[in-house]
Amino acid sequence: MAILSVDNLRKHYGPVQALKGVSFNVPKGAVFGILGPNGSGKTTLLGIIVDILRANSGSVMLFDEKPRPEHRRRIGTFLETPNFYHYLNAVQNLEIAAAIKGHGKEDIEHVLRQVSLDQRKHSKFSTYSLGMKQRLAIASCMLGNPEVMIFDEPTNGLDPVGIAETRELIKKLNREGKTIIMASHLLDEVEKVCTHVAILQKGTLITHGHVDEILVQEDIVETNAIDNNRLLSAVQHFPGAIKVHLNGQHVELSFEPGTANLEAINRHCFDQGIVLNHLRLRKKSLEAKFFELTQNNN
Amino acid sequence: MRQLLAIEWMKLKSYRTFWILSGLYLFSILGLNLIAFRVQQSIYEAKEAQGMAEMVLGSTPYSFPTTWQMTSFMSSFLLFIPGLIMVIQLTNEFSYRTHRQNIIDGWNRREFITVKIMLAMIMSAISTLMVIVTATIFGFADGNRSFSVENFQYIPYAFLQAFSYSMVALLIAVLVKRGGLAIGIYFMYSVIIEDVVKLLLNMHGGSAGRYLPLQSSDELIRLPLLQNAQDKFWAPANPVIMLIVALTYLAAYIFFVIRKFETDDL
Repeated sequence: MAILSVDNLRKHYGPVQALKGVSFNVPKGAVFGILGPNGSGKTTLLGIIVDILRANSGSVMLFDEKPRPEHRRRIGTFLETPNFYHYLNAVQNLEIAAAIKGHGKEDIEHVLRQVSLDQRKHSKFSTYSLGMKQRLAIASCMLGNPEVMIFDEPTNGLDPVGIAETRELIKKLNREGKTIIMASHLLDEVEKVCTHVAILQKGTLITHGHVDEILVQEDIVETNAIDNNRLLSAVQHFPGAIKVHLNGQHVELSFEPGTANLEAINRHCFDQGIVLNHLRLRKKSLEAKFFELTQNNN
Repeated sequence: MRQLLAIEWMKLKSYRTFWILSGLYLFSILGLNLIAFRVQQSIYEAKEAQGMAEMVLGSTPYSFPTTWQMTSFMSSFLLFIPGLIMVIQLTNEFSYRTHRQNIIDGWNRREFITVKIMLAMIMSAISTLMVIVTATIFGFADGNRSFSVENFQYIPYAFLQAFSYSMVALLIAVLVKRGGLAIGIYFMYSVIIEDVVKLLLNMHGGSAGRYLPLQSSDELIRLPLLQNAQDKFWAPANPVIMLIVALTYLAAYIFFVIRKFETDDL
């Protein structure tokens, strides 16, 4: 069963095309990351899913059905900013959210403890720090133990401890069997937390699928010799190398993850009469990968 | 519906701005009528004018049964206040984005906006109740005539008028969304702009101005003094027609408020 199916979704704000025909499915049990730079249409996409924005065309299905308010009660959603009544305290705010979701007050203590807000639960929302507001929003999502959660930039504005805690919480919720859909502009976050990813750029879905397939991290070997051109031709057809090219002052060889053998490269060059003065293995940075993915689309 | 109102109550019960303004408004109804009542007393009790006032103006307006009309008329000058309260509490939701969260959490859009319309209705009812209490108090304080519910139709008119003002307020709030701007537009429209437009429309002797949105419900309740003189200057409006016009406007406000909220990006 697909938790969420999006089909050819389009949305424009006046002349600005925010979504240009986006389609994908979110399978049950996934942590589905929607990755894209700022302004790529992530929040617009999530806003349409929860009915606060109207799509111009295309369709959304929740739990294989046309979306209804009852579906949203089974989804904990934290969109963009924590939205609460400033003059009410945490408990009063959660009571309202719980009542709308059709639950009693029984969960409130528990969810506040889970985000460590129980000490400040009787303080007004307006007195909270950004991090506390954010944690209250996550607590609100957990009311009624929903099977699906939607988070939009959940770690935005948190301190490093808060970021780590939030990511841990998301993983924990997923281990409990929940499906999580999260938007992020942080590649590293998606890589650490998500099982699936969809990459969005300027309203177009570039690619989507398993994180392992999409965000493959190649091994890159940097080499350098006195005559780099000779070095380049010597390693051009090195067995196993996917790509060999001159990058600045280094000749770089790319390999499938975990297959680069520095010793073999060194011996190969030496046998060809080239002495290396630099040999280093590095993981391809995810940012570079991300640029590569998004650049092709410009 | 009870569930929706219960949730609205949870939002409002600790909302201090709402309660302070509402309290001051209800007190103002009493206060403004007290001022008018004192003016009435000084005119009718002045020794030199003994009997004159009665001859020229008619019997004291705060006596039964004109007290219903007089109190409704005086109180209508304050009706921009409940409208302002409606604008403030709705645009407050917009600026905190809690209207979005309510939908995200599982209300449908119609539920959210219906409960706001209900709130406008309840506020209008409470305001009307205050008018009844005030009219009764000054009716007895005047003491010239004994208690009577004749002319009590002015009370439902007062409710209709209050509801119209509140719905115009909701409509402006839904259209403009931003608090300060909505408050400004509503205030200026209800207090000044409509009267100016009415004046311009009526400049050449016509009475088209009475069909303006707020004016149509204002027309139902006229000052119960110098009726003959008033009639000479302005041909009296047919109350049945004005009632139909006012109700039509009201239906239109409700329709457009719901429609706007249901189709907008929130």
